[in-house]
Amino acid sequence: MRKKEECMRMKHAVVAAGVGFLLAAAPVRAHHAFSSEFDINKPLTLKGTLVKWEMINPHSWFHVEVKEPDGNLVEWMIEGGSPNSLIRQGVTKNSIQVGMTLTIEGYQAKDATSKAVGRNFVLPDGKRLFVGSQSTPDPAPLK
Amino acid sequence: MTKALYTEQEFAAVVKEAAAREAEQTDPGTVADVHYDSTQFGLDRSQSAFVRNLRTSLIVDPPNGKLPPLSAEGQKRAADRAAERKRMGATTDAVQNMPVGSRCLIMAGSGPPMMTAGYNTNYQIVQGAGYVMILVEMIHDARIIPIDSRAPLPENVRQWMGDSRGHWEGDTLVIETTNLNGKNPFRGSSEHMRVVERLTRLDASTLGYRFTVDDPATWAAPWTAEAPMTKSVGPIFEHACHEGNYGVRNTLAGARAEEKRAAEAAAKKTPK
Repeated sequence: MRKKEECMRMKHAVVAAGVGFLLAAAPVRAHHAFSSEFDINKPLTLKGTLVKWEMINPHSWFHVEVKEPDGNLVEWMIEGGSPNSLIRQGVTKNSIQVGMTLTIEGYQAKDATSKAVGRNFVLPDGKRLFVGSQSTPDPAPLK
Repeated sequence: MTKALYTEQEFAAVVKEAAAREAEQTDPGTVADVHYDSTQFGLDRSQSAFVRNLRTSLIVDPPNGKLPPLSAEGQKRAADRAAERKRMGATTDAVQNMPVGSRCLIMAGSGPPMMTAGYNTNYQIVQGAGYVMILVEMIHDARIIPIDSRAPLPENVRQWMGDSRGHWEGDTLVIETTNLNGKNPFRGSSEHMRVVERLTRLDASTLGYRFTVDDPATWAAPWTAEAPMTKSVGPIFEHACHEGNYGVRNTLAGARAEEKRAAEAAAKKTPK
């Protein structure tokens, strides 16, 4: 028993909760209802320059400067996912550079301000942001 | 589903189907589409470590893998809660109407029992003199669990994560929790829920996690579930949920803007 107690006494026992497949069948839920925050009837596509990325919880916010048809620059705030998983997979605040061009496909905020949810974050080469980051393979199923 | 385990073949099919469902793109103009793509933020299961097992249900007791029926008291409380929610109005009417998770008060996964929060369901478990501490990544809650046989708190002291006491039974850390405040019900549980969790190291990277829920005010019988955990790539990151929770403000502002637009449209239609 003593030995096993020692075994549990790990300084950094960091574990992820397992998910049974009944649960895994449910969609991954965000921390709030996005359809209450953003307008399903206001889809938009924005192309602009990344000026800031707030890597904060519960959701990332990307600040993108977009040139309006009249030439004015407007800063849009785009909501994305929690950064924790990205950091765990090696993505840092330097992984995408301020100054890069981003195309956002999403929906505008219901309060009609310059905010949107980013359904897709598209890079200049057409790839989606952070797709195919270094992933952790799952272990074989327990018997 | 009555059988306890999938065959390897069935399991492979379930995994394939789940992966396909996650990779599937939502249709523009649907509610599900008004959301960031989890795969673009590493939040889908294919990019997260978790234990897979052949069990068809998390519930190991009752043996049919299903929750026991609600007790009469449980049914009444469910109805009362539904009526209360109706009386309070829409979740967008006031911040107090929003779910506790959206308000960054506490998240599913904090426990007990510790079940998936959807993503970032990571825990750091540390034992020191007289205590075990479990740090929960989502909203960085810490469960501080005395293991020195001290008396539990008086019954009138109710807490969000209850009052826990732990002890070792051989290789297994047993944690018993009571004194929940009932404000973060687990599948409709009551503040009288008693949870007994059992944590056992199965191998270098797997932690067995089994818990029994006993809450006659909700379910007709106690039930037990198993949800093993796997080692994650550390450390735990600060979640600091309030700091960036612009969503609450945006949601309330959006609802007020919609009401204003509706009122203006109605005023235009009304002859003067």
